[in-house]
Amino acid sequence: MDSSWKLTDAQLREWLSGLIEGNSVVAPVEEDGVLLFRPIASEDQAIVKPSGKTRWSPKEFLFPRSEALYRYNFKGGSVQLEDPSLPEGHQVLFGMRSCDASGIVRLDEIFLSGTKDRLYAARRENTTVVSTACAAADPECFCTAVGYSPVGEEGSDVQLVPVGEDWMLRALTDKGRNLVGDAGDNWAEATVKDEKEIEELEKTVAGQIERSPVNREWSQVLEEGFEHGAWDRLAQHCLGCSVCAYVCPSCSCFDMNHDANAFCGEQCRSWDACTFPLFTHHASGHNPRETRQERYRQRVLHKFAFREENDEPFRCVGCGRCVALCPAGLDIVSTVAAAVEAIREEGADAAR
Amino acid sequence: MTEANVTVSQVGTGSVPENWKPHIVALVCNWCSYAGADMAGTTRLEYPANVRMVRFPCTGRMSPLMILRAFEQGADGVLVSGCHPGDCHYVQGNLVARRRFTIFRSLMDFIGIDLNRLHFAWVSAAEGHKWAKVVNEVTTAVQEAGPLPSFENPEGWDGIDLPVMEGSGPQELDQGQLDAIRTNLRKAASEVLKTERVGVVVGYGAGALLDQTHAVLITDTADCENLEWGRSCRNNLSAYVGSALEKHERVAVVAKTCDLGAITGLIREGQLRRDQILVIGVQCPGIVDGLELATKCLSCSGDPHPICDLVVTVEGVHESCEDPSTSALDTPDARDEQIAHLESLPYDERWKYWQRQFSRCLRCYACRAACPLCYCSTCITDKHRPQWVPTSIDNQGNSAWNIIRAVHLAGRCSGCDECSRVCPADIRLDLINRKLSLEVERQYGKIGLDPEEKSALVDFRMEDAEEFIL
Repeated sequence: MDSSWKLTDAQLREWLSGLIEGNSVVAPVEEDGVLLFRPIASEDQAIVKPSGKTRWSPKEFLFPRSEALYRYNFKGGSVQLEDPSLPEGHQVLFGMRSCDASGIVRLDEIFLSGTKDRLYAARRENTTVVSTACAAADPECFCTAVGYSPVGEEGSDVQLVPVGEDWMLRALTDKGRNLVGDAGDNWAEATVKDEKEIEELEKTVAGQIERSPVNREWSQVLEEGFEHGAWDRLAQHCLGCSVCAYVCPSCSCFDMNHDANAFCGEQCRSWDACTFPLFTHHASGHNPRETRQERYRQRVLHKFAFREENDEPFRCVGCGRCVALCPAGLDIVSTVAAAVEAIREEGADAAR
Repeated sequence: MTEANVTVSQVGTGSVPENWKPHIVALVCNWCSYAGADMAGTTRLEYPANVRMVRFPCTGRMSPLMILRAFEQGADGVLVSGCHPGDCHYVQGNLVARRRFTIFRSLMDFIGIDLNRLHFAWVSAAEGHKWAKVVNEVTTAVQEAGPLPSFENPEGWDGIDLPVMEGSGPQELDQGQLDAIRTNLRKAASEVLKTERVGVVVGYGAGALLDQTHAVLITDTADCENLEWGRSCRNNLSAYVGSALEKHERVAVVAKTCDLGAITGLIREGQLRRDQILVIGVQCPGIVDGLELATKCLSCSGDPHPICDLVVTVEGVHESCEDPSTSALDTPDARDEQIAHLESLPYDERWKYWQRQFSRCLRCYACRAACPLCYCSTCITDKHRPQWVPTSIDNQGNSAWNIIRAVHLAGRCSGCDECSRVCPADIRLDLINRKLSLEVERQYGKIGLDPEEKSALVDFRMEDAEEFIL
């Protein structure tokens, strides 16, 4: 157990305090009654053991809501192009849940496989993830139903596990071990018994999640039933906003936009969502996803279908935020189950 | 305007440089003030050179968006100038604009824009001297106000604690009473479907989570058993009436008292005919938002309003007669104390308060989606020729969006609070809406539930107040 320690709450806070020197530390804070990730200036701003999860995932610290890709300004008669400097400095994303850490790996798959996204890659390189295993499930949580775990290690460089009043701290990667550095010398090493606690915790929290599992074989059923009439019914109360996509740890869609005045301008990349009609609106005026139902289906299928291999994880990590925050009360898990049931019963081609 | 070496997102960064001179944008009417300024020039009158003019056909053409745009692009002050009342080239453009400016001005004041930065004037083509005087006054005022505060989340700012809202809320209903109401509601819905008074009933069905419901569109009497009623029936279902009408001639909608204003609004604005909708008003226990009674419920009785066609209570179902005389804003509102508190703070604090709120905005447009009165087929923020509302999700764009959303609902908002309920960032849109409703009511009278009434901001009176206009 060379990279596993047992810490008191005070020791953990002391470590966090040390991290703030030399890193930009992002942690859950409470702002106007809302729990959300913000850069912190001192350790006491962070809510280390919050009740409930942050309103949205910390993805904006890797994939900002808006960022400039290039800038220009007019000086005299000439145009000066400016390349925004690559993000510098090391950041620590502290206190995200396992589902959010998995969400980052899903984003990596989009931005870092094949052609690497320069800005994302630079940020990701400079980021260390310190996740917190869940002490309890929230009512909306369903990670175990989609193949993830409340104590999952995916995406974490360091994992904190709540053990009673204390913490177990596990450095899982080289980045994580670097972040711990010498601090580990002052901590008690975790015992085999402590490690066993993780299994106990997983069992307890998983037991609190009541959703029935989404079967991996369903992806194919969903794809075959693309044109099935059930989608009309299932999404008829979707209001067409993008809360679901913007609070989602793994949604990665963006739009290019331009902000400019008479003197200067910038080309930006901003979050966008498949639930908006403009997302697919062609310059010709044609929109291949004309209705809200089609757009909602796209979101559901992008999470649970369109996978190349059967062992590829779902792009939904089960945080449940979209369920808790949907203004219309749509629920992605029961939508999938109901769609699959309808497609199987009525055949993939059942009319709209 | 913005210097060439400053990027778009860096305007208004606070500190006052030495020998600072304000940038002022004047939006002027072509037929009077523009000619008035010309007159000042030909008369060789001297006035400060800080003002850059933009010529418009009429003050009636000037959207608050254009004033906002000037601030976004680095103006420290804005002057709007047009023809005197009665002199409009298009007869009434300036009269409609006057109401719009009155309300917009109160909103800017509320979110922390020093009113020394925002001026309105009537200057005719013959009033060269007045133009010079107005520009002098405005320049002095903006100079005093200093550079525009920056659009950003204030760092290291402790925030403001607003007074706790109090109110008793609707009469408490126990489980037995709620069950009775639910049974009566199902009966009423089934009856209107069976007798073919409507083709569809829009009501609440059970959601995935324990305390969730969602809209259900019921066409079969047997499905009426799925209708729910209780403290989690949050949505304003009138947002679904439009889509239900695409497939059915007549729609019944289950409504709480707070939902009625939106239905009236839709009728008033020609989105819906009274005979297309059957309103089933249900006795409401108050809804729960998070763990607490929703703000809007604190001062509500929960009793169904007589405007409903059918009224469902614990006792049973009865037909109702329409009496639109009661205003939705008759009762004091629990929020008014919070609004008064914010207004008692200096501009700087107010600006920080709202900039922090707006910094959380994700631009998910849930506020727009849930609002029954946001029915435009293409929202102004989705129009990009030109792009009036910056699309970048930062404080500048977020401020523009949240301000213009409020402006477009001023005098129309029914106070159902759906926008603030659905906001994932808990932006206090309800405070902004309430503030504007109060202002409209104070200036132009109450917004009642009578669909025949005109919305205040599409109407005008020759004698409307204008004490702020130079």
